[in-house]
Amino acid sequence: MATVSFKNVYKKYGDQTVVKNLNLEIKDQEFIVLVGPSGCGKSTSLRMLAGLEEVTSGDIYIGDTRVNDMPPKDRDIAMVFQNYALYPHMNVYDNMAFGLRLRKYSASEIDRRVKEAAAILGIEHLLERKPRELSGGQRQRVAIGRAIVREPKVFLMDEPLSNLDAKLRVQMRAELAKLHQKLKTTCIYVTHDQTEAMTMGDRIVVMKDGVVQQVATPSELYNNPKNIFVAGFIGSPAMNFIDCTCIKENDEVCLVNEDGFKFLINDKKLADKLINYHNKKLVFGIRPEDVRGVPGESSKENCQRVRVDVVENLGSETLVYVSFGKQTIVCRFMGSPKHKVGENITIALSPNRYYLFDKESGVSVID
Amino acid sequence: MAGKQLLTRKLIARVFIYTALTIAMVWALMPIVWMVLSSLKTQAGMFSMPPKFIFKPTFSTYAFMFNEGNFGLFLKNSVIASLSSTFIALVLGTLGGYALARGNYKGAKHIAFWIISTRMTPIAAAIVPLYLIFAKFHLMGTALGLVIAYTTFNLPFALWMMMTFFAELPPDMEHAAMVDGATKFQAFYKIALPQVAPGLVATGILCLMFAWNDFAFASVFTSHKTQTIPVAVSLLVSQTGIAWGQAMATGTVIILPMLVAGLAVRKYLVRGLSMGAIK
Repeated sequence: MATVSFKNVYKKYGDQTVVKNLNLEIKDQEFIVLVGPSGCGKSTSLRMLAGLEEVTSGDIYIGDTRVNDMPPKDRDIAMVFQNYALYPHMNVYDNMAFGLRLRKYSASEIDRRVKEAAAILGIEHLLERKPRELSGGQRQRVAIGRAIVREPKVFLMDEPLSNLDAKLRVQMRAELAKLHQKLKTTCIYVTHDQTEAMTMGDRIVVMKDGVVQQVATPSELYNNPKNIFVAGFIGSPAMNFIDCTCIKENDEVCLVNEDGFKFLINDKKLADKLINYHNKKLVFGIRPEDVRGVPGESSKENCQRVRVDVVENLGSETLVYVSFGKQTIVCRFMGSPKHKVGENITIALSPNRYYLFDKESGVSVID
Repeated sequence: MAGKQLLTRKLIARVFIYTALTIAMVWALMPIVWMVLSSLKTQAGMFSMPPKFIFKPTFSTYAFMFNEGNFGLFLKNSVIASLSSTFIALVLGTLGGYALARGNYKGAKHIAFWIISTRMTPIAAAIVPLYLIFAKFHLMGTALGLVIAYTTFNLPFALWMMMTFFAELPPDMEHAAMVDGATKFQAFYKIALPQVAPGLVATGILCLMFAWNDFAFASVFTSHKTQTIPVAVSLLVSQTGIAWGQAMATGTVIILPMLVAGLAVRKYLVRGLSMGAIK
């Protein structure tokens, strides 16, 4: 078990910089998830840590050891690959024993560890099979088994669940979380799926274009996104964004746009801060669950008259896509659908659960 | 009714296919069968009309070849030259092919093409420069010279073939092995190499065939002591006539090992040659 740290790490391919100034301290026993859209540099960062990619500049430490120039075999890490990367010419037992044999463990120790891992993962009956005789989920287990028999300092997982079907993915997600609680090995997990990130990570690193956007716990990330990218990436369905202008009328600070959007800032402290933004472009963000339907043609503050475009019934909840002007908003209402497509309804935007971002920089205006 | 019709149509198609296959087989096998049968006949029986398919075979030609002639020596020369060249081509070709497939350096494609382009040289064009080089280094008439000559053609071929096989292998498994504790070389020979084994066998057979069947190089670069079987056969045509019996027997001996090798590794050969075609 060990800590991992990235210090000012860059990765360049020719003129292209895929990881820019990565600084990250991962604690011992932590389950950390790197998440971001494809091409954001998350896999490259993981592969640099594994030693499969060279570091262009900066330092990577496992524990107190700088590992930049250390070959992968000496780093004492284990990795699970997206396509499992099982050795097709070896049976399951030999796949799992491979790393131990290279490290010259005794046959009895190898046998003990392989059988133990197989028992944990429920693949004891598959030990004699070749990888091609296994289903996707079974291969996945073998790949994980191959990693845990090594008892490494750090687990690296590169999108390990993305080749599984939806049901199996949810099941394996829970099993991996359970496994981590049991083994308590530091784990770095790469995914593009924000649900996986939210459900599994002790902390989440959101990356975009090679740059870390925010490092935080799942709830911190959800409740206080630092910028518009994180706000839009975390949460499903994604946060609604409304382009608007900040204006000060009399003593009130308002957000307005040409579609007839009007939102009054109640928070005195925030209103004071927004004086600097007078006549400037902002982006108003609100999560689907923070929008309420209100009866009648209410003209109360922060209510909006909208038209229902699409209604999606998810059983326990309903997603309603509404629009006013050019603006579309998705609302999450509890229970079964109460609205019809084409109907005009009134929605109320939560007066205290909303987000504001600078239009130009994308940075959150609310601390 | 419809079912019956379909059955008849299937039957007709089958009959047609098998007839075509039979014709093709007879076409391909006829000369070989004639050769093998003739090698077991006396010179007089060979040209009797109509040809006899049932007769009392005689092994006198073979006995004569091995006992009286130098045939044993020629066979040994052939075996040594083709096996050595195939072995060298496979070892170096596999290492080089892996390096070209996995090496991440500029111009790898150009180097690969340059290497395979040497295999495109007509043998006749290679003979003259090789002759001059061999003369300079006293390699004329030696077994080593012949091995080198075969290797100049087999190595680029083997390297190119192996490069293609390795390039089609996803590198993740080797990466997994390296993380698991393998060195680069261990990842190569414990993980990558076993997976291209069918390709390696196919390449080996093709290299072996090239060297085994070669006449041009052997006729120029060998002396009486290092002659290979194909050259020996050509010497059976003399001013006094053609020793048909021996020619047929020698032909049979030339074909036999390739036939056996081909049958033995047929499974690998098909898989190797179609590697990449099936994903």
